[in-house]
Amino acid sequence: MSRGLGRSTANRAMRRSPRDLSERALASWLLLPAFALLGLVAVYPVLNLMVTSLYELHLAYGPKGAFVGLANYERLLEDARFANALRVTLLITLVTVPGAALLGLLLALLANLPYMVKWPVRLGLLLPWAMPLVFAGLIFRWFFESDYGVVNDVLRKLGLAPLFWLSDPRLAFWAISASIIWKTSSFVALVLLAGLQSIPKEYYEAAQVDGANAWQVFYRITLPLLAPSLFVALVFRTITALQTFDIPYAMTGGGPGNATETLAMYIRTQTVENLNFGYGSAMAVALFVLCMATTALYLRFLQREEGE
Amino acid sequence: MRVPLFRLGLWLSGLVLVFNGLFPALWILFTSLKTEAELSRIPITYWPDNPTLANYQRAFREAPLARYFLNSVVVAAGATLLCVTVSAMAAYALARLRIPYAGGFLLSLVALAMFPPATLLVPLYQIFTGLGLRNTYLGLILTHAALSLPVAVLVLYSFFKTIPKDLESAALVDGCTRIGALRYVVIPLSGPGVFTAALLAFVNSWDEFLLALTLNPAKEMRTLPVGITLYQGEYLFPWPLISAALVVALVPVALVIALFQERIVAGLTQGALKG
Repeated sequence: MSRGLGRSTANRAMRRSPRDLSERALASWLLLPAFALLGLVAVYPVLNLMVTSLYELHLAYGPKGAFVGLANYERLLEDARFANALRVTLLITLVTVPGAALLGLLLALLANLPYMVKWPVRLGLLLPWAMPLVFAGLIFRWFFESDYGVVNDVLRKLGLAPLFWLSDPRLAFWAISASIIWKTSSFVALVLLAGLQSIPKEYYEAAQVDGANAWQVFYRITLPLLAPSLFVALVFRTITALQTFDIPYAMTGGGPGNATETLAMYIRTQTVENLNFGYGSAMAVALFVLCMATTALYLRFLQREEGE
Repeated sequence: MRVPLFRLGLWLSGLVLVFNGLFPALWILFTSLKTEAELSRIPITYWPDNPTLANYQRAFREAPLARYFLNSVVVAAGATLLCVTVSAMAAYALARLRIPYAGGFLLSLVALAMFPPATLLVPLYQIFTGLGLRNTYLGLILTHAALSLPVAVLVLYSFFKTIPKDLESAALVDGCTRIGALRYVVIPLSGPGVFTAALLAFVNSWDEFLLALTLNPAKEMRTLPVGITLYQGEYLFPWPLISAALVVALVPVALVIALFQERIVAGLTQGALKG
């Protein structure tokens, strides 16, 4: 982007025309709609959220609330249901992010084999990705249903006792995690597959000449060169895992009791259902900070890549 | 011996991939063709005994499935159009015009649009109630367009970077204005990039659930994911309706990915990796 060199005769010709826009003016007009849209749907709402979190605002008792400073945040620390929702959210993140990464890596390695017909394999990766999360939740709810579910049918056929997957708190957590891993591993696989395909073939040929075995090739060539794609997939997955809502909402509605209620679900219950917007906003700010910290990590990575 | 063994392994791994990806969707398709009696039989069946379309008739008659479908089409089409227009303008400016801090602008657009929807729902509910945008198409279109913006901007940004700059310069030398160069050179060439971004924005909007549930809960304004998920509380044994409705809702998405596989894969990796 060296300024002096890039100035072509074209730019100078353009500059002479009085009716034409300057480059900067044009750029501002082109950028304006994007920032206006994000201003309305992202920036202003988040500022509004932060202000609301300092008020005691219960829409059932009227539109105006009283300023209470950090009282809503103090309440967070004592709220057992919030602590539980935070715990469930972090556990889901800890289980499903590595789970989806492992399954996604396996699917990507299998998908990268030299098939003669490629489209069925690609469809197998794309369909789970393109399916709404909440539909995956509905289908898996049925899979894990105690009477009519596929999972218990398989258990019975194997001579094992059927389990009450969705009414036992611990089993419900694992059923939900398994569904999330299935649904999200396809995204990881698609990102990793692109990474695999960008690894130069010469590396593998060189390894073959040197007599490396399959494990050495994977561990010394594939994995290190796949690291950037893996990192991107992990960050994306972490941000979405922290916001988990759809799949538990469809499978258990947060139950039994509040055993599988995530932060996003509790936030929505407090605000949209209980109309307790002051307190709900404080919770949403907490989730916001958690997600943005993860995003910051991703952006630092992008910047480093851009610099190279 | 090595080659047949290798081919067997290839077949097996292909089967694993296809089974893993398609089993849930195929199962819901088979289920939707079963009678209600067969659906509530134990042990369960996998292949339908007497395939019937009765569930589809019920799904359209007993629930406003056609209306949900229309709502999803309007919202997804509107959001796609808005998102792609706004993103293309921004991406062109960032990729092509000499502006200070272009990299910073790109990062800030991506960062802003990555604000978590799970937290946006709280203020958006309040703001849209105040503006009268709840239970309207416009409110959800604006929201979904903003959510798809980072992917669209990144895809289009990397696409514009691949159009040779000389083409525009030539137009400018020939006396074209900047706007003219955009109109006659850049826009006609940007079809593939715009199309990829549009596919991703469409799927994003078609699939979105949390904000659609929060902002458009009125029965006549629900999108497909919201309407179908809420069958669970509205019907005693909702599975016949849910299975048929799921198939109806998945058909457009399945068509899009079947027809445009390679484009979507390319777009996904551009959008996720970098500009």
